[in-house]
Amino acid sequence: MRDEPTGEQLLETARNLLREEVLPALPPERKHAALMIANAMAIAMRQLKNGEEAARNECKALETLLSRTAQGEPAGGEALRGQLKSLNRDLASAIRTGRADEGSWREAAHRHLLDAARVKLMESNPKYLGGQG
Amino acid sequence: MNEQMRSALEAFIRREAGADRVSIAEAKLLSGGSIQENWFIQAEVAGGAFAPELKLVVRTDAPSGVSGSHCRAEEFALIKAAHAAGVTVPEPLWLCRDASLIGKQFFVMRFVGGVAASHVVVRDAKLGGDRRALLERLGAELGRIHSIRPPRDDLAFLPSPGSSPALQNIARLRRFLDAHRSPQPALEWGLRWLEVNAPERGEVALCHRDFRTGNYMVDESGLTAILDWEFAGWGDPLEDVGWFCARCWRFGQPGEAGGIGAREDFYRGYAKATGRRLEDENIHYWEVMAHLNWAAIALQQAERHLSGEETSLMLALTGHIVPELEYEILTMTEAN
Repeated sequence: MRDEPTGEQLLETARNLLREEVLPALPPERKHAALMIANAMAIAMRQLKNGEEAARNECKALETLLSRTAQGEPAGGEALRGQLKSLNRDLASAIRTGRADEGSWREAAHRHLLDAARVKLMESNPKYLGGQG
Repeated sequence: MNEQMRSALEAFIRREAGADRVSIAEAKLLSGGSIQENWFIQAEVAGGAFAPELKLVVRTDAPSGVSGSHCRAEEFALIKAAHAAGVTVPEPLWLCRDASLIGKQFFVMRFVGGVAASHVVVRDAKLGGDRRALLERLGAELGRIHSIRPPRDDLAFLPSPGSSPALQNIARLRRFLDAHRSPQPALEWGLRWLEVNAPERGEVALCHRDFRTGNYMVDESGLTAILDWEFAGWGDPLEDVGWFCARCWRFGQPGEAGGIGAREDFYRGYAKATGRRLEDENIHYWEVMAHLNWAAIALQQAERHLSGEETSLMLALTGHIVPELEYEILTMTEAN
């Protein structure tokens, strides 16, 4: 077992130091770079905090949407990414060939895609959803 | 600027300006333009029509090009065509096709002052003069760009728009997704919606293809120039209207026209210049298209970072804009 502070905690502390002490000391033309770094650290923090749970949920939702027999609890890491990629490829191709043009599957697919986009958005830029309700 | 480039440019300007003597007093590399280099040049000119002083911008090809952008000779032809159509652009002066002069092709235009940076323009209401007048002016400028119609011998390098500019765009975006490293079902959803709802082929005109806040310059009194012509081509004029008004180019501001004000002002300027009234329902389609186009560009930028072609945090973070675009696309296309 790793000792604390965890990677996530280290990122948070480092980000605060960057924003509170380093950023104000920078000349104006370098501030944008520091803000980009702080933004990248915030995205990485949110991803670390969420772990692989969102990916597992997306996998299960895709299996239901595409009527696949569940392959059991998906493995983690690269295997999980691979499985997600393959399921999303099938969804993409079903949409392109018109399966989501109408009916209840259209609604289900739209709901799924919106959920998946929201989950990514909550990691990439949560303020965006805050402003839109 | 090294001595060799300086003296080559002085000789070039002297010849083109019909001057007796030209001496570059100041030369500096301007920021911006990830695709090409822009040099500001102040030159003392003796003799000829351009004496005694010229303020110029020299625009060169840069080492790393972005796919789909025009070379300098083509961009020069586009700016000349826009200038002749009454569009506010820096006056294009001379093109140098001979790459041996400074190591690459370049063209020269008159320097125009102003601010383009989107985050400054949307927040500083002193810039651009009266905002309603600015939007009306921008609408009129876009209308004048769209008065340029095919066929044109001077623009013969532009690909034909085909039978449907909308479907052609969709096919191009699908080819891009097919070659991309990961599947993008939300973008596929948007593309299918665009396919099912594609408009009849309408008028075909010169589209700027990057007409948005950030790509025009203003000063305290108003508009000074429409910039960034490297993606222009034949297409449906509404594509430019949708790009300008799309939420993804409002920079977090409430104004639906480019983040700086109301659509009606922009539309009114466009109608005055063209006689064509813009209807909101036609524009919605092209705003969805705008989000798809920007999403593809954002994926492409992130890929440049991921592939190691150009390691950059800016490019990496551009990939993280895609979820916002997906969310907008899905919200805009809920009804079929």
